[in-house]
Amino acid sequence: MNMNNGIPLAQASALYRPDADIGSPPVLADPQALLNAFHPDYLGSSVTKLAVGANAGDSCQRELAGLLQAEAIIDEADLAGAPVTDIDVLVIGGGGAGCAAALAAAERGARVLLVTKLRLGDSNTVMAEGGIQVAIEPDDSIQRHIEDTLRGGHDIGNPELVAAMAEDGPDVIRWLIRAGMQFEQTASGDLHTRRAGGMNAARIVHCRDYTGLEMMRVLRESVIQHRAIEVWEQSPAVELLSNEDGRKCVGAVFKSLIDGRFRMVRTHSVILATGGVGRLHLNGFPTSNHLGATGDGLVLAYRIGACLRDLDSFQYHPTGLVYPPHLSGKLVTEGVRAAGAWMLNAAGQRFVDELLPRDIVSAAILRECQEGRCVRVDDGRVGVWLDTPRLERSQPGLLERQFPKLLARFRVSGVDPRHDPLLIHPTLHYQNGGVVIDVNGATTVPGLYAVGEVAGGIHGRNRIMGNALLEIISFGRRAGVAATAQRDRGPKKVTLEHVNRARRDLTLAGIPLTQAAPQILPDYAAKGIWNR
Amino acid sequence: MRAAYCTLNFFDFSHLTKTPMTTDGDNPQTINLTINGVAVAASAAMTLVEAAWHGGVPRVTAVSCLESVCGSCRVLLRRGKEVTVNLACQTFVEDGLEAVFLPPQPPPLHHYEISDFTDGWNIQARFHEIFPEASHCRNCHGCVLSCPKGIDVEGAIALAAAGHFRDAGEAFLECVMCELCDSACPELIAPAHVGLFCRRVTAHFHLRPPNLIYRLEEQRKEKMGLTGASHDEHE
Repeated sequence: MNMNNGIPLAQASALYRPDADIGSPPVLADPQALLNAFHPDYLGSSVTKLAVGANAGDSCQRELAGLLQAEAIIDEADLAGAPVTDIDVLVIGGGGAGCAAALAAAERGARVLLVTKLRLGDSNTVMAEGGIQVAIEPDDSIQRHIEDTLRGGHDIGNPELVAAMAEDGPDVIRWLIRAGMQFEQTASGDLHTRRAGGMNAARIVHCRDYTGLEMMRVLRESVIQHRAIEVWEQSPAVELLSNEDGRKCVGAVFKSLIDGRFRMVRTHSVILATGGVGRLHLNGFPTSNHLGATGDGLVLAYRIGACLRDLDSFQYHPTGLVYPPHLSGKLVTEGVRAAGAWMLNAAGQRFVDELLPRDIVSAAILRECQEGRCVRVDDGRVGVWLDTPRLERSQPGLLERQFPKLLARFRVSGVDPRHDPLLIHPTLHYQNGGVVIDVNGATTVPGLYAVGEVAGGIHGRNRIMGNALLEIISFGRRAGVAATAQRDRGPKKVTLEHVNRARRDLTLAGIPLTQAAPQILPDYAAKGIWNR
Repeated sequence: MRAAYCTLNFFDFSHLTKTPMTTDGDNPQTINLTINGVAVAASAAMTLVEAAWHGGVPRVTAVSCLESVCGSCRVLLRRGKEVTVNLACQTFVEDGLEAVFLPPQPPPLHHYEISDFTDGWNIQARFHEIFPEASHCRNCHGCVLSCPKGIDVEGAIALAAAGHFRDAGEAFLECVMCELCDSACPELIAPAHVGLFCRRVTAHFHLRPPNLIYRLEEQRKEKMGLTGASHDEHE
């Protein structure tokens, strides 16, 4: 491999023809061999074994393992004089899952405090474009949704969780419509559905390609307007709090990005809704994720003793942008491929069925890039074409009608997807695994719930499109209800006993206490805000 | 061993964190501007967010999605005597530009819970109770000029005040709730929240999709045991 791989962008653009005669993609004989050879999850150098904690001995992505087996940011001395707030339910995270959990808890009479690292609504939810998976078409069923989800996840997902989510689907959409979320309709008033990768029926409902934005602004407004929900913004969680024996979660510690002060919250139920890990740039990949996606929830849950799962499995979404540079890693929704767009290598050939599961499509793109059939931009990054002009030619006006966000993002940078094919490369998009939960979102640690991307078990080793937006509302509401039902009198004493225990474990395992976690912000964005 | 990571290592974020290779002031590639009062020498084609990180501007916490859908990175821009607003992640560096990241808009003054609305016939009256300022628009265009998404905010507010909630809401499809129009409005109309209200009541009262309702009804009957043994045809 060398830096001179592929054809320079200008040359490749000149060769591109939206009306070229292109045949079918080659049949993929052995998808597993393709994954083994090219998908980062399957390459031995990207994983290691955890040495301490509830998952000792399990495989874990190397950089994530460093954070899971790191020292805490705070100790008891930091908490001296920190103000304490008592609340019924504490939600950590202000994306879709956190808002759904807060609203569900408040609807059942709990006093709720929602604390978020950045601004309420700053999340991966707001960027989600494609839609929500829900089995509502006559030729579809809840059972088929369950089967597609499990198969897409390579049959290691937890069937009980998947069934719970799929069965919740129709009611989740009703709940969202009641809250004021709009969806695309057909002429007869049905919800418009699309079929996407790994699905046996049309099952994606959507609000053009702004589904996440539409969902997030409705949820955000609902939370802001709710009388029983208090919101703290710009307040990352730096540690959980435990009871005397360090086995039960009874609150959390936050450090304000505004005044730098620590604040403690005491409660009987903590709901972690902190999202994913894209901003750790695992294996050197760019990411589609928002700036706060640094895996903080995984680190905090693991330190207090929660079981995690599938920590060596991440989703590299096939169509992350390579060009223009300021949108590097940002997503082009799978909906574009679902609508019929093909992918072409630098030789102008299709190389894989575009609607195979995401991990396989990504591996195929990485193969084209490594074997030199790619387009290279000036700074050496490479990609393949997503042929949007051909889609526009075959269905004139489609991009403007169904993908306004795609066009809007390019407006400021002089690229028009209707005329120029998009240069794409897999981008770190989603954490497939996460904290082990039951159907109520309860973790293996009493008092601690986990919902949304931070939780694991639903998507197996590969999430199919539209299940993330469904999961966050389905399990967000479930955890909100369960957390409210837990009516003990709350903690007598709050401690950092679990931090002391984790430190002892690390010392005994001979792991140096040089690294501290959670990460809070990526280093390139942390200047003057966050010094560990 | 497969050199699998050679291509991956191309994803180098050093352009965000390190000094660019061309740092001398007279290089045409270097753009000089100020961000939050700090002088920054940036590379061309950087956004204001990238330039702020690159220049080590402290305490820039209002950044999140980096693709102009979260509405967090509100900036005030001064070019000579011209003052405008925008989102930092979609604004590119320019020589002599003065940029200041704005604090978030305070929580809205208008309160309603959508579950309180049960009768669609009085929704216009409820709207004017909740947003009494919406009919006071003096057509100053401040909201239109401030919108980073090019929404005809003023026209949409007029539609909302006349009860055309569906059309008004549609105009706000691309609204990212940056609330720059709320900041700009001298009548305190809170246009972004008016727009969201319009979208929400349209869905709340009018979205009744037959295919969704049919499946919900199937599930309800199953739960009540009315379908008996045929619990699920696919099992």
